Amino acid sequence: MNFNFKLKVFKRHKARHHLKKLQKVLRHKHHPLIHHIHHVHRISKKTLFYVKEYGAHTNVPKTILKEGLKIIILASIVSSIGGLALEQIKALFLTMLPLVILLPALNDMVGDYGSIIASRFSTMLYKGEVQKQWWKEPQVKVLFWQILIIAGITAVLSAGIALFISEHTRAPLLVTPLFSLKIMLITLLDVIILVSLLFFVTVFAGIYIFKKKEDPNNFLIPITTSIADFGNMVVLALLVLLFF
Amino acid sequence: MAKEVTYKIFDENFKEIFWSQLVSIFGGLIAGSALALYTDQLLLIPSMLILLPGFLEMRANISAPMASRLSSGLFLGIIKPTGTNQIKKNIIHGNVIASFLLSFILSLLLGIIVFLMNYFVFQVYTPKLILIIVIAGIIANALEIPVALFATFYLFKKGHDPNNIMGPFLTSLGDITSIAAILLTLVIL
Repeated sequence: MNFNFKLKVFKRHKARHHLKKLQKVLRHKHHPLIHHIHHVHRISKKTLFYVKEYGAHTNVPKTILKEGLKIIILASIVSSIGGLALEQIKALFLTMLPLVILLPALNDMVGDYGSIIASRFSTMLYKGEVQKQWWKEPQVKVLFWQILIIAGITAVLSAGIALFISEHTRAPLLVTPLFSLKIMLITLLDVIILVSLLFFVTVFAGIYIFKKKEDPNNFLIPITTSIADFGNMVVLALLVLLFF
Repeated sequence: MAKEVTYKIFDENFKEIFWSQLVSIFGGLIAGSALALYTDQLLLIPSMLILLPGFLEMRANISAPMASRLSSGLFLGIIKPTGTNQIKKNIIHGNVIASFLLSFILSLLLGIIVFLMNYFVFQVYTPKLILIIVIAGIIANALEIPVALFATFYLFKKGHDPNNIMGPFLTSLGDITSIAAILLTLVIL
């Protein structure tokens, strides 16, 4: 029997030489070298992209500062504007001790869900698990429901702890059953609205950024955490006005 | 034949996220209590309520993407969880340097913005505020970055997905270290 096919042999030194060449390619340029290395050495395009961004001869701080600085500045300013909103509703908030106790934990919680969604979705993009019809992907659906269920449980739990602390510290007379129910509902609705919003922002922004050949990690986490901080203040203020 | 993969909602990831969130709630409540306990000292600083969310946000936005970048590298196999090589050294050193540079630049910028806001809106001259925020930013970074690095590698080595745990852990740790760093700076100055 005579088999006639070309066998491509993996040569380590040649792959290393190609990877060094790849790191010199400008970030915004699609280069045929990526396709060539992927084809010859069977290294995934996602790995090649990561090596190009943060390889041995890359200026890592420069890359991070270049991609991350602007968005983090924007995120911090947006959060500080959220601080302005906090200043405005301070008088109303101070009359409700459980919400005062809850505020930092709630801010953290919503921000955390934002960063979990962002980092897991970034990894999914790198691993090539997100196709054009992302809403049909089982892992994307699972991510959404996992975060939503956990958000619901932790919201009720933290509201319960805040009410317990209030009851046993300065405001025992304030914590009536109706008041407790309202606090629970405010917390739950706030978390559900924000988690849903963060999920869709992450998916659309993540796909867009990844298509532009940038690292979604550097953009998505600052975007989602600032939306979470700012959105939490606004949604919470609106819910307080609605319920009280 | 392609291997069929099934995805469950109540899987290992669910457990990891849930437990890390419990840690986060605990951290948030500690941070809130600390803030409530030292309200008088912190509110002596003009516009602290405007500065604080941005400052807390900055801490999470520096350390969480760093952990996420390292996680992506670990999952792709570019960064090896054990041993050292040139790429691993370069990525870790680069991330640490970048985190300090980001912290310095952002703290300075936030300090200047709040200083200008105080000067033009509230007619209060507070140049010391810039120094407080810059020093607090560097102290908070020095406290949080080594923990972030160690925890990311440790969790990956133990078979966990650091993406599920590091985000919540670092934001709540960031809140605590940031408030502690501001208080420490106030004591120093």
